[in-house]
Amino acid sequence: MSEVKKNENTTAPKVDTRKTEINKFTLLFNKLGIWIIVVLLIVVGLIVSGGQFFGKSNIQSILEAVALVGMVCAGLFYVTYSGNMTDMSVPITMAFGGVMAVQCINFGFVGAIVVGLLAGALIGVINGFMIGKMRANAIIWTLAVNLLISGVIRVVWQGKMLYAEDIAREDMQDSANLFYSISRTYIGGVISLMAIVMLVMFFISWIIHTKTGFGQKLKIIGTNYEVAKFSGINCTRQLMIAYVINGLCSATAGIFYAALRKCASYENGTGYDFDALTAILLGGVSLNGGKGSIAGTIGGVLAYGMLNNILSWVGLGTYSKYLVQGIVFLFIVWLNTYSNRKLGKA
Amino acid sequence: MEKKNFKLNAAFINRNRSYLLLVLIMICGLFAKNFYTPYNIQAVTGNGSLVIWLGLGFTIVLIAGHMDMTVMYMSTFAALLTLGLHADQKLPWLLCVIIGALMGVLNGLIMGLLVTKLKIHAFIASIGMQLVLRGVMYVYCNGKELSIGKDYTWNDMLNGKLIPFLPLSTYFIITTIFIFGVMVILRYTRLGRNIHMVGGNAETAWLAGIKSDMVVIAAFVISGLAAGLGGALNGIYSGAANVTMGEKGISPFYMAFTACVIGGTDIYGGKGSVIWTYVSLIMIAFLKALCKSTELQVLVIGAALVLCLVYETVAKYNRDKVLGRRPNLYIEYKNETGNAK
Repeated sequence: MSEVKKNENTTAPKVDTRKTEINKFTLLFNKLGIWIIVVLLIVVGLIVSGGQFFGKSNIQSILEAVALVGMVCAGLFYVTYSGNMTDMSVPITMAFGGVMAVQCINFGFVGAIVVGLLAGALIGVINGFMIGKMRANAIIWTLAVNLLISGVIRVVWQGKMLYAEDIAREDMQDSANLFYSISRTYIGGVISLMAIVMLVMFFISWIIHTKTGFGQKLKIIGTNYEVAKFSGINCTRQLMIAYVINGLCSATAGIFYAALRKCASYENGTGYDFDALTAILLGGVSLNGGKGSIAGTIGGVLAYGMLNNILSWVGLGTYSKYLVQGIVFLFIVWLNTYSNRKLGKA
Repeated sequence: MEKKNFKLNAAFINRNRSYLLLVLIMICGLFAKNFYTPYNIQAVTGNGSLVIWLGLGFTIVLIAGHMDMTVMYMSTFAALLTLGLHADQKLPWLLCVIIGALMGVLNGLIMGLLVTKLKIHAFIASIGMQLVLRGVMYVYCNGKELSIGKDYTWNDMLNGKLIPFLPLSTYFIITTIFIFGVMVILRYTRLGRNIHMVGGNAETAWLAGIKSDMVVIAAFVISGLAAGLGGALNGIYSGAANVTMGEKGISPFYMAFTACVIGGTDIYGGKGSVIWTYVSLIMIAFLKALCKSTELQVLVIGAALVLCLVYETVAKYNRDKVLGRRPNLYIEYKNETGNAK
């Protein structure tokens, strides 16, 4: 008798007994996600700024403010998507990319950029090997890499600021000036080069995510690592690629940041890890992996920038913004988790 | 009772690495000038105390299987609050310290509720709370640096020696007593064992009848209390506090985190001891005194952290590999390397 019961128990389908509320509103919210918030913010912005929200200068400032965070997000998306939470070594990847680019300015402008990108890819490879192959804890390992590379940069360059015009030889001053100008160029006098690069990176990222096998495999890895492994996916390779893409994107942002700041040092990029993660989470990418889209991430980045902009219109200082940002962040993350739970998706 | 047989192998070194590193640093100290003077020891242990409080909080939450990154900002806020209340409202020191500690408890409670009731991942919740705390800090003091004013009674008390012949400041001794108190709670009380159990496997703990939500909240509250109390005392000890404390040089959060890993607290939760963290943090404090330049300190601490992580990860990788393919070889492997890892 007991055996029969046991069998019944094991063969019966598992019913999720948690209370779910599937109605039109929750479904709609779950589908549209962050873009509802974006529209809401646009309306609030129009009211607060008295119609100047869509002015040329305001849109320019919003796009410029989110450009660097957006570049990081285009790559960090894959790390979060593959179920590895976040990459805490983003700040040092940015700093390392910037420092290497400025140090190698004598190779010419293109050479400097290539070396900077390679530096980012190197950190990506290190992270990818330890996390993809050796299965280290993603957050802990990237925190450690952040500390180690920061130490290396500080010891090698003695904690100094690096200026491109000091390092460049006489005949290479042109490339130093060109390097500085990349963050200050406006295409057609309207839209900043940084914003264009960000949009292009998002477009490439979208193609990789939706049109290639890599993106599809990464979704399985993020949803369930074991299943991915036993269905014959080379998880190590996919995770390596994800981390290398992340390193390249962070290094791009770092190069632009170094050009914007006109100097490179170990402290470039401090705080960008949290900013980028905030934008990604606002965009509805699940921390558990395997859920999210590039469109949502763009929405998250825009919402992040617009929230900052609106708070400036209201007249809050740089620092009291943190308070509002933190509360809004917690609220939106909670809303996300809650709607997923009610739909039985998480 | 089973007799523990002593064997000098990799597992032994790994298990006691925090103690061995401390001994190593102490031996290196023999060759440094003015290292073993009473003044140096008092200064080093006193200045390293704040990080011990942070490491304590971080370790407890890590044992419970979560991450609490708010500890650094919480301690800064408590320090600012203590100094500010004494200067503006003329409250006595004791009340100021208690209010600072209570703010820490409040922060821990909010974190616990966010994690357990609203089911937000602890890492994300602590990022949000970090922003909130930073905002509150700036609103409270407008970015100014607050100083202790002219009332030096508690400052002298914390800086002075409690026991005449020991070169240790009162602040450090209070820290040590608190650490041992928490150690006793973690090791010998029901709450402490429950914290370990919830960290090891939350679902099993829930099925075994533990109120896992309450246990996690308790862990966060202890962490917040440690950060608040430590920050408040540190504000008085150092005589000044500002909002950017720890953003230059090597941040206290990184030191606390490094010490947790070097000490041997399991990053997946369920295993660890505040004593290991405590010893590692004293080691780091002496290490900082040994290497004069900040650059070298960061490199050495980072290298130690990365080495520990690489060792643990590779050991886990090899163990999983052997365990998966040849279960009988695993027994041999275990006999060879000992029980740990």
